[in-house]
Amino acid sequence: MLKLVLRGIRANLGRLFMTLISVVLGVSAVSGSFILADSLRAVFNGISEDAFAGVDAQVRALEPELSSSDLTVLRFDDDLIDEISELDGVNYAEGGLFAFEQVYSIDSDGEIVRPQGPPVFTASWGGDSPVSSFTLLEGSAPTGQQVALDKAQTDSGGFELGQMVTLSLPSGEPGQFELSGIIDFGEGGTGGAYFILFDLPTVQSILGAEGEVDSIVVNADGGLASEALLDSIATLLPEGLEVVSGEAVIDESQEDFGSFISVFGNILLGFAGVILFVSTFIIRNTFAILVGQRTKQLGLLRSIGASAGQIRRMVLSEAVVIGLLASALGLVGGLGIASLLKLLFSQGGGGFPEGPTEIRIRTIVVVLLVGLGVTVGSALLPAMRAAKVSPLEAIRDGGKTGRTNKFRLIAGAAVLLPGLALLFTGMFGSVDSLSLRLTCLGLGAALTFIGVAMLSGLFAGIVSYKIGAPAEQVSGITGRLGRENAARNPERTAATASALMIGLALITGVSVLAASLLRSFDALLEDSITADLFIFEENQGLPFSPVLIEQLDALPETDLVAGYTTVRALVAGEQETFTAFNTEVGDQVVSFNVVEGIAAIGEDAVAVSEPEAELRGLSIGDSVAIEMEDGFQTDLTVEGIFEENGVIDSDWIMSIDFAEPHANIAGIDYAGMTYAEGVSPEAGRAAVDGLLRAFPQLSSQDNSDFKETFTSQINSLQLLVNGLLALCLIIAFFGIVNTMALSVLERTREIGLMRAVGMTRDQLKRTIRWEAIIVSLFGSFLGVALGLLLGWAGVIAIPDNVISKIGIPWVQLAVFLIGGGVLGVIAAFFPAARAAKMNVLDAIASD
Amino acid sequence: MTMTPPAPPSANSQRIAAARAQNAVKIYGSGDTEVTALRNVSVDFEAGKFTAIMGPSGSGKSTLMHCMAGLDRLSSGEAFVGTTPLSSLNDKQLTMMRREQVGFIFQSFNLVPTLNVRENVTLPMDLGKGGLDDAWIDEVIRTVGLADRVAHRPNELSGGQQQRVAVARALASRPDIVFGDEPTGNLDSKTSSDILSFMQRAVRELGQTIVMVTHDPRSASYSDRVLFLADGEIVHEMQNPTTELVYDTIKSLGD
Repeated sequence: MLKLVLRGIRANLGRLFMTLISVVLGVSAVSGSFILADSLRAVFNGISEDAFAGVDAQVRALEPELSSSDLTVLRFDDDLIDEISELDGVNYAEGGLFAFEQVYSIDSDGEIVRPQGPPVFTASWGGDSPVSSFTLLEGSAPTGQQVALDKAQTDSGGFELGQMVTLSLPSGEPGQFELSGIIDFGEGGTGGAYFILFDLPTVQSILGAEGEVDSIVVNADGGLASEALLDSIATLLPEGLEVVSGEAVIDESQEDFGSFISVFGNILLGFAGVILFVSTFIIRNTFAILVGQRTKQLGLLRSIGASAGQIRRMVLSEAVVIGLLASALGLVGGLGIASLLKLLFSQGGGGFPEGPTEIRIRTIVVVLLVGLGVTVGSALLPAMRAAKVSPLEAIRDGGKTGRTNKFRLIAGAAVLLPGLALLFTGMFGSVDSLSLRLTCLGLGAALTFIGVAMLSGLFAGIVSYKIGAPAEQVSGITGRLGRENAARNPERTAATASALMIGLALITGVSVLAASLLRSFDALLEDSITADLFIFEENQGLPFSPVLIEQLDALPETDLVAGYTTVRALVAGEQETFTAFNTEVGDQVVSFNVVEGIAAIGEDAVAVSEPEAELRGLSIGDSVAIEMEDGFQTDLTVEGIFEENGVIDSDWIMSIDFAEPHANIAGIDYAGMTYAEGVSPEAGRAAVDGLLRAFPQLSSQDNSDFKETFTSQINSLQLLVNGLLALCLIIAFFGIVNTMALSVLERTREIGLMRAVGMTRDQLKRTIRWEAIIVSLFGSFLGVALGLLLGWAGVIAIPDNVISKIGIPWVQLAVFLIGGGVLGVIAAFFPAARAAKMNVLDAIASD
Repeated sequence: MTMTPPAPPSANSQRIAAARAQNAVKIYGSGDTEVTALRNVSVDFEAGKFTAIMGPSGSGKSTLMHCMAGLDRLSSGEAFVGTTPLSSLNDKQLTMMRREQVGFIFQSFNLVPTLNVRENVTLPMDLGKGGLDDAWIDEVIRTVGLADRVAHRPNELSGGQQQRVAVARALASRPDIVFGDEPTGNLDSKTSSDILSFMQRAVRELGQTIVMVTHDPRSASYSDRVLFLADGEIVHEMQNPTTELVYDTIKSLGD
């Protein structure tokens, strides 16, 4: 039997090749995401160990239960450094102060020097101490009015050792510092981040943290902090501080990075899953066609005594061999994908550190399971059908025993209806959690795809015949034959088109979501934003100094200025996020659509969103118990109830004047302003931009800039997601090539006949091309239609403060449809060439 | 009915040949596996005649027909359709020649399954640019007795009906010559008589030229002239054959 399996594979090598490719692509994506994540984790684990090599203990502030800023670490008195240094067993103790996106170097053209994406860190550096995370590459450690920069930043800014470098500082006054040294983080590079290092007193003064540090790192005698040492340090600490061992520090940093890597790896895995899902359709289709074509051979085997089980096992064994081969190739492909992504990241400025590529046993096992599982699973149905071939069919001529339409209708509906039900549950059901809604959508979409794929066999014939009508008008008999061929085996056409359908449905869905986002954003801008200009940090929305708000307010060109920030406080014991701003004018800058009460709430009041008010049973005039970050407790009155709104994305609003003394506010998240009467937009903007020169990380944007920025962000996100989804199209493409090639082979005699009675090679190619185009268009139409459904479902399911309106990208949809046709043309190339090469006589004489 | 002596025709022959072969040699393979299918065959297929080619399997009868019809190329010598030497034509020109000047009737699988009867009949003309002579096509279809089946697909027809469609297709484009490769080989004797009588009438009444390969003496008896091939050579020729005469000849040649 094994011999037969191997012979079968060898005889169908070309046909199975395309199948192999589609499995390999999916498996490669899986193994690639594992390998990349493992390799990155290994590299960054190494960096953590390097960077904290001499750290045997660290003193730091306990994470407060309530914190308005996720970014800043609480600071404490630096007198502790001396106290700890004097303890027995302590070799060396150093205080550290750390911040990010606060200080930037400015190049000779006055431009800010910053990486694309990764942050810019500002830190203290005690020089070449045993606890230092930094390595000096050139020069010396900075003291006083000196600074040390990392290599990448030095190169990018065109700085030279010893020169004066202009730095932008949080105070708004730039400073001049001598470049004393060039450094590296640990020994493995900075992962793309930039570092700006000073000695501790200098950082303290720059960050306005005189006499404060946010950590003290300790190097113990003998290189290991004993429990006793940790205990004796602990006794020195005031409330709110803790001491942890060096190992714990390393573990934590590895864990932090690990969770980031996991998210990243899971996104990749998600795409891999989609690709594999699409692949299963192609594999199933190929095996179904191969079994169909070998009906006679299988019948012969049955008639000479092979059991149904043996036939089933024979087909499945072929799948096993393909699966094993695909897994092996997929592992190699995964290596390629991982290296390619690493390369892309490092070229994109990510500066990914060099490191070994990690292929774990786990990866190999998963890849094997996935490759085998997907292939064998997809071949299961065809194998069962093969086992049903009766010995008589060896004698009978190509009688097809398809499933009845009724059976297909029932089976398809049994999958489609629950799928649609899940979709509608996600859209309209009383499911509160967004992630649960989206899970419903995802599962619903998957079932809908399978259901439609099963049912589409019922109408693929008639629909593709209709789609093909223009082909006949354009090119006569070749168009007619192509049209007929596309319609002659509806089940096959449907199965071939299904991969394209799914790929295009996903891409269309994403495009509809993107268009809807843009449309909703437009509506938001129009409805809510009265501000003439906004200011914020574009890269990561990082907070900036409140000093700027005062300066903006002082400009004669501005009228109303409001700075918005985030504050966390307990409301009746539960932690809530507040947007805090100058409530006297805030509503006139960004309307938050007050439906009850007033917008200009006082310092002893809050405004609450409609759903939150409903949830808590609050109405105007009620008072709520508030506990602030510093423990301050008071009752505030509900003075306004507002509609959910995309700009103010919290449920609560309070006055910044009330919040400031009681919250550890990291800075202003964004500021909005209106111009004074009679000030032209140009003049207003020029005045504001003048102020911003001292804050090079900030940019000013008006509504049209906003729109532009948002549009380009959405577009690039859409491009990225659809780029990954395009892999599905590649698989769909191979699926079409494969089916066309198999169909051509199957129709050898027919082709021979047509050639004999006068069909030229070009006409034959045209016939095959038309067929492929029609099959592709069938898939494209279905895909775009399903994509519209999915997009609509997403728009409904996603809360209105993110997407409130559906947008349909008509032009893109047209492009997808045309693209589907073009895909068909390209896919037909190889099968058509092959058909044209057939020898007429051999073709006529073939079985 | 002219009697044609079994003499090799010359290039300046006065008679009108629809097709002819001149010193046709066809060798398959090379070295040890070399097989000579045609050994220096020269033959005229007279216009307006029904010629049958007979011979045991391996005698080269099919090869001769394939080479005459532009489906295969000779190793040496020349095949003419009308006055056109086929060796001078490239693939595209050969295709055009088959489309416009030659008609085919194969033993089986004659029809494109996705096209209906009428579309199958007009296929060669549809492949070309010229218009259709609808009246003629209707007449041909009527003559083969399929006027009420024009919209049927091949799988809705019996084997005999399918062969009649093939005959209609072969005649519809008014080709210079029609080649039949065992056109009734798959049919029962009653149906096969119908088809053969029709082919005979096409020659006698419509002036068509038909060359048919067959191994069945009864089929050959419908022709005007029978060529007997053995080992790649024409070994005998018979005018106005009857089943018995053909049968006897085969027997005598076999001895």
